[in-house]
Amino acid sequence: MREFCLVGVVALVTACGGAAVPQESLTAAKASIAGAEVGGAASEPKAALHLKLAKEQVTKAENLISDGDNEEAARVIDRAQADADLALALAKEVSAEKAAIETKEQLEKLRKKATQ
Amino acid sequence: MKNGFNRIALFTLLSQAVLACATPMPPQELLDARTAYDVATKSSAPQYAPAQLDTAKQSLARAEQSFQDNGDEPVTKDLAYVADRRAKLAAAEGSREQAERARAQMDKDFKSTEIDALETTKSKLEHEQRARAEAEKGLADAQKKLSLAMASLAEIAKVKEESRGVVITLSGSVLFATGKSALLPIAQEKLSEVAKALNDQGFKSLLVEGHTDSQGSADKNMVLSQERAESVRTYLISQGIPSDKIKAQGIGSSRPVADNSTAEGRANNRRVEIVVEPLGK
Repeated sequence: MREFCLVGVVALVTACGGAAVPQESLTAAKASIAGAEVGGAASEPKAALHLKLAKEQVTKAENLISDGDNEEAARVIDRAQADADLALALAKEVSAEKAAIETKEQLEKLRKKATQ
Repeated sequence: MKNGFNRIALFTLLSQAVLACATPMPPQELLDARTAYDVATKSSAPQYAPAQLDTAKQSLARAEQSFQDNGDEPVTKDLAYVADRRAKLAAAEGSREQAERARAQMDKDFKSTEIDALETTKSKLEHEQRARAEAEKGLADAQKKLSLAMASLAEIAKVKEESRGVVITLSGSVLFATGKSALLPIAQEKLSEVAKALNDQGFKSLLVEGHTDSQGSADKNMVLSQERAESVRTYLISQGIPSDKIKAQGIGSSRPVADNSTAEGRANNRRVEIVVEPLGK
């Protein structure tokens, strides 16, 4: 019975002390979410989905940290970071494509005018 | 026999279970990540976002390794989830870069087309300007010629503008002997100058009208005025006026311009009028 208690205590200490609070990566993920929002991710459906996922996972990670589960929190933050990065990339892709289409239309208009 | 079958079935089930344990099914996240990476390699990412694609590759490799080591544990799912996003990011970055390059090229094309269009407009404008200057010069020349012609006409005849055109009035006494329709020599000289002035200034058509005073019978006056108009017409044709552009008409005494009761008035009424329909009317 004494051995069992000892094992239990050791396991508890390892769980608590094994992983530090992933504060740095959490801050980075939050910054990326803010960056994606500035980049227009909220107004592009595909990007908005990943922005939402990123935010949800940050909330989840914060709850996990409160519960002391830093290890899982770190993995959830990795997910959040990946979604935030993707949200920004998708927003930029859409705006680049829109700009290209716009330029193409202007060019065609100009060419049409030039041949008149 | 029944027992034997059950045993075989049990063995089959067991061996399948063992096999399933040895190679567990990959989690959905890993399947998604593989698909996403496959899609990315077939997109414009290899050409335009090779660094991001490489990151995605490494990310997928970590997920695959975790799957080998840990099976479908949450850690594998998390790594696969991240790998899926990295692959999609590479594809997105690839098409963004491609779109931006295409746009940059079109921008260049736009500018050069714009410059071409400007050049075309410029040369068109210059051409128009030259044409206008030439036309203006031509017009000025014509006007100068016209005013010179009018000035020389004014020296030998009365010229006035009426609604029917420019009317050149030649006094009958200068042109004809009394009762005759043959032109006097001095008249021929004058008419030569008139013809020259008319040819110089150009015109659409000419109408020669003969007028008399009210002395004598109206019939005779009508015949005389017709003959006189004809003789002026004939002479003008001989001086180069195209015959299809000139007509003659006898008016007789019906349109006096002065009082027929005085000698001076009658002299003014005896006249030939040349009505000029100007060009461009």
